[in-house]
Amino acid sequence: MQGRLRRLLRAPPPRNLLCRVLSSSPTGCDGGGGGGGSGVAVKQVTRGNLAEALEELRVRVREAAFVGLDLEMSGVTSAPWRDTFELDRADVRYLKLRDSAERFAALQLGVCPFRWDPAKSAFVAHPHNFFIFPRKELTSDGSSHEFLCQTTSIDFLAKYQFDFNTCFCEGISYLSRAQEEEALQKLNLLHQGRTAASSTTSEKDVDMPLNSAADILFTKRMKMNFKEWRDVVVSKPMADSNLSGNIKCTLGQFQTVFFKMRPAIMLNGFSSHQLKLIQQVLRKNFRDLVYVCTFGEDDTSEKRVVYSDTDEDKILLMKDVQEDLLKNREARVKSAIGIRHVIDLLSLEKKLIVGHSCFLDIAQLYSKFVGPLPSSIKEFALSIHKIFPHIADTRHLMSANQVVQKLMMKKSKSLSSAFSLLCPLSAEKPSGLVPVRIEVEGDETMSSCFISGAKHEAGYDAYMTGCVFAQLCTYLDIKFEQLSSQDNLASNTKLQRHINSLSPSWNSGTVLDLSTGMERPDPGYMRRYPLAVHDNIVLIWGFLSKVKPKEIKDCICKVFGPGSVTSIFAIDSTAALVQFKKQESVNDFLDLKAVLERTDSAISIVHPLSTILEGGQTRAAKYETYRDICSSSESKYLFADQAEAVCTNSKNQLQENINDDPVSGVRQSILDGVGLTSVNKGDGTKSGSKNQDDADVTCQDILAILHDSRALSGRRV
Amino acid sequence: MAAPRAAAAAASAKQVTRQNFAEAVRELRAHLQACDYVAVAVQKTGAPTGWRRALPVDTAETAYLKAKHAAESFQPLQIAVCPFRLRNSSTSTLVAYPYNFHLFPRDELQLGMPTYSFSCQSSYLSTMANDGFDFNICIYDGISYLSRVQESLARKKIFNPCLRQLLPSSNTSVADSVFMSRIKSRIVHWRKGYADPSKKYDDCLVGSLSRLILGGELYGSRPSMSIDVCSDRQVQLVLEAVNHISDDLVSLIVPDKAGAARAVRVIFTSSKEDKNLLLMDIQKLEDEQNFKFRGFREVIDLLSFSQKPIISYNCLNDLTMMHTKFIAPLPPNMHEFMCSLKMVFSNVVDISHMWRQIGPLRKAKNIQAALSYLQKQYFVPMEIELPQQDGTSSVIKNEQNVLRITKLFAKLSYLLKIGPECQLQSGEQFTAVEEYCNIFYPSCMVEESDGVDFAIESDTKKSVSTDNIVFLWGFREKSVNELKSYLIGLHQAFSHDFEVKLLDMTCSALIFRNSDTAMQLLKEISSEDPSLNSFFSEGLKGAGFEVYRKVCRLGLWDSDLAKAFDDVSSELGASTLSECRNSQIYWNSSLMLDLKEYLEC
Repeated sequence: MQGRLRRLLRAPPPRNLLCRVLSSSPTGCDGGGGGGGSGVAVKQVTRGNLAEALEELRVRVREAAFVGLDLEMSGVTSAPWRDTFELDRADVRYLKLRDSAERFAALQLGVCPFRWDPAKSAFVAHPHNFFIFPRKELTSDGSSHEFLCQTTSIDFLAKYQFDFNTCFCEGISYLSRAQEEEALQKLNLLHQGRTAASSTTSEKDVDMPLNSAADILFTKRMKMNFKEWRDVVVSKPMADSNLSGNIKCTLGQFQTVFFKMRPAIMLNGFSSHQLKLIQQVLRKNFRDLVYVCTFGEDDTSEKRVVYSDTDEDKILLMKDVQEDLLKNREARVKSAIGIRHVIDLLSLEKKLIVGHSCFLDIAQLYSKFVGPLPSSIKEFALSIHKIFPHIADTRHLMSANQVVQKLMMKKSKSLSSAFSLLCPLSAEKPSGLVPVRIEVEGDETMSSCFISGAKHEAGYDAYMTGCVFAQLCTYLDIKFEQLSSQDNLASNTKLQRHINSLSPSWNSGTVLDLSTGMERPDPGYMRRYPLAVHDNIVLIWGFLSKVKPKEIKDCICKVFGPGSVTSIFAIDSTAALVQFKKQESVNDFLDLKAVLERTDSAISIVHPLSTILEGGQTRAAKYETYRDICSSSESKYLFADQAEAVCTNSKNQLQENINDDPVSGVRQSILDGVGLTSVNKGDGTKSGSKNQDDADVTCQDILAILHDSRALSGRRV
Repeated sequence: MAAPRAAAAAASAKQVTRQNFAEAVRELRAHLQACDYVAVAVQKTGAPTGWRRALPVDTAETAYLKAKHAAESFQPLQIAVCPFRLRNSSTSTLVAYPYNFHLFPRDELQLGMPTYSFSCQSSYLSTMANDGFDFNICIYDGISYLSRVQESLARKKIFNPCLRQLLPSSNTSVADSVFMSRIKSRIVHWRKGYADPSKKYDDCLVGSLSRLILGGELYGSRPSMSIDVCSDRQVQLVLEAVNHISDDLVSLIVPDKAGAARAVRVIFTSSKEDKNLLLMDIQKLEDEQNFKFRGFREVIDLLSFSQKPIISYNCLNDLTMMHTKFIAPLPPNMHEFMCSLKMVFSNVVDISHMWRQIGPLRKAKNIQAALSYLQKQYFVPMEIELPQQDGTSSVIKNEQNVLRITKLFAKLSYLLKIGPECQLQSGEQFTAVEEYCNIFYPSCMVEESDGVDFAIESDTKKSVSTDNIVFLWGFREKSVNELKSYLIGLHQAFSHDFEVKLLDMTCSALIFRNSDTAMQLLKEISSEDPSLNSFFSEGLKGAGFEVYRKVCRLGLWDSDLAKAFDDVSSELGASTLSECRNSQIYWNSSLMLDLKEYLEC
């Protein structure tokens, strides 16, 4: 009660709503291309108007030539080191993207169908903005429904007046396909179990001891009341009960109602403990009174005591109730699908989906509305291809055309910059090409759910993406004039070459072909780093924070020779990837590091690598370990912490420990080879420290020894 | 008795955002001084669910690890602080000044602090939304903060020009005096250009030319000049020189990227008033900067400094959160946490520990239940004053919580005769509030329902050794009763007396009366005794408390408990299973952590 009151008292329209309405200066929405950020009516869809919006959208999508899509998320990377880097291997990059898609929530979905109107020779756009919130709709659903927010992303959304209140209050929730299937399966199992149980005897025969006077008195009173009521019902069988279903007669304490054409009492206002006592009374004393619990419309449970005269009738009644329950639950599962209907609808219509830099968006959609993301990028590509057979990425398209490339040169490739460049107000014309006319159609009724679009609102971004796409098509020499009103642009031959090619990330330098799942290099991409050879890479972490990447490179070069390191890349302040020129250097480095750590002698102190090893927390491993660390569900802010957490948790030990044998061999031979006469050969550390003064070894020596010992241990095995 | 209720419903705390923060802190400081206690309540973005909650099988240590995990992943969105004064005479008078601070961890300094990301629980957020929580205010205008540790990190990275006190001059060497006189003449020469009224340049070209020649620049609208320095000694000398020249010069130390003084900026002020104005401007700038460095933490520092007892509910969760966000990262174990916390807040009272001192109240599940019970059963005459009304009528959940804590504390302290004064008029002794300090109850249930349902929390407060517990998983969703009857047929150990508690959907704890039975069973499980064939063939698995402790210590919070157990026990192997099992006591049903036990001091 109080809650409802408070809800009513709640702050009236959110501030940003007002802001947006006010800022929608009458620039006119049908000026070819639309204004620079406002004046475009975007339909806002929340829980309240989803059903109606869906019906309308279905029609719009069916007519559309293509559909613009955009997603706003609660974050992008869960830790700085989870950013995608240019030198990431494809599988690592996918792991990073998958982590992002799984951890963060989708908060807004923008869908904007574009219909070609031959009469106006213009596109007609219908931007929709759906608020999403991963509310837990089904109680049976065990997942925790936790999501991550990246502080900067949330702050960014706030800067663009994102309405969090609407999102969290009125956002539409969803079930993915996998979740729906699971819920239905669970339901069926439950139903089977129930019917089986109820046919034998009542479910729980465990007696509750009545240990307080209040309980005993309450039980007695209830027994009397029920008896009284039952006697009345039995004594005057209401022959016309079927007809007078709504007649309520008050008998003593209870109001008689009818439930499935049987006389019944509503049990209102009892505590759960009292209800348990009532059940016990009924079970013990009344064979012909049945306790029935059903669910009303708004999820409130309704408890009744129903009179049923015979055992057969009782079974019939229970079966009836169970089936109702099943239907009710199924309906709830169906309604819990929520916003996924939009995705199902788009998938069903097989229209061309257009996004801007949309790989992450698509991965988010998959993880939220289809199911857990597959383990490899190939599987992901193939299964997304089944759902959306035609996807175009405007960012990729921009690099597909020379003219556009020239136009966009040295400009930001962000959506808004592309939009302002390619879709200017009708007055200007870029590079002589006639821009495609685009109109936005508001609702005839102009209801309150339309507000003027603004940058970084999913609905408006979807619209901008579509506009950019339409203009790009003209550069690709696609003639819309030949398009009939319900044609899917996906079948256009000139476009074929460019669709279903997505860049996994802006700095991947590759393009993923969704139809084959193969990743190929993007010829138009300008690399910042030399091409990575992942077998030559060593991951180092845990060094002191004062050590800079340059110093790491320098001191490795001191040992392995100048030019032995092709590049070094700092993951964050605690970790770096070092790429060697030669692959064998990787093992050499790892072995040398292990040796230096185990021999507690002057060698390790004066050795050039001591800069890196200082502090004793420095660890190193091959690139595979980097992948393992990225695949972990842990999320620590610093890479070194993450790596430690993963390594202590995971069963597979690290590189260092696997190499245990050769290392001990090396240690042995280091001592022998250097010519130290040790009293106690078995105890390497002891003898090493004894002869600190002699430890005048050059790096070349150590390396030579390393190679020898490697051969040696190889022979031993 | 209806009066206070109504008053509380209409009462509203001062809502504080970054707009009115400075003013609110000033008021709070005064109120804190005048008050005896401070009630604190935190509104978070989520609470642990499933087995990540504190469970009846948790020891203090594992409960702490769980609270730590929750504190680190979730984010406080509002912190209500309510200093209050309590006078217990014939009727007690409660004067309370509730404040509700809205928080958002905005990265004010662009250093990736206070937090890169945080977790939200959707069910938690939607309940908050339904209760009228305004997320927009919070996110748009919430106050940011840095913890003490983060501040010191940030101070090492960002340096701002600042004033410095002139130290009493030590003996100066010849070189020093040469340096000083050189600087002095430079400044005097430069100052002449502005101070000498006859040389006032009206022409702006001449003005800028002179600036160019004299090496001056502008500080805001005032002329200034930079003197490069390369040591702290030189800074000192420059300051001394400036001090000798005139009173109308203000010097600011300009630091380089590493924080060492790079230059001294001498600013010329035209009059005494102008100088004051400048100093005020500098002060304001510094305050703004301090706000960025501390933000809301200033309130925590105030609370800490005031040394007033902190009254809170759900203490373990709230204080671990406050510790990790505002003080320092949480230490790995409870003992260190307590030591660290005591340095900040010496007296923390868990209100639920207090109400458990009143026999019949022991069963109360939450504040509302306790309050309504008190309302019904005890007559506590009380006047409540909330002098600080700011007109808005809506009551936000979090401040409601803090007011409830305040009220409940007032009533309990009346009943338990706790008071700041030592003597009642009648000569009765007051107990000191310290008696109740630092004993936390990890709340087993999230405060989900506002219901006043007393219901079934068993009254039996028994201690069981961790040796008596066997964790069991691998059963497919079964209820407690199903599981119990199903187990009895599997092995003779299950014919002994034991209790079953489901910890989550996948794992349950069996609590044996007799620790020998449990130990024996565990031994047989780890040695895969043939008598357990039917147990294993059903896919069941078991482990002792040590494995559970390890699960908590490793922080395998992401998976369900069965999976976490699988991961850890397969790694531990049979060998480590039985070692280092020191028996610890845990509390069934009503957990209590006496933190004093964790402090030898």
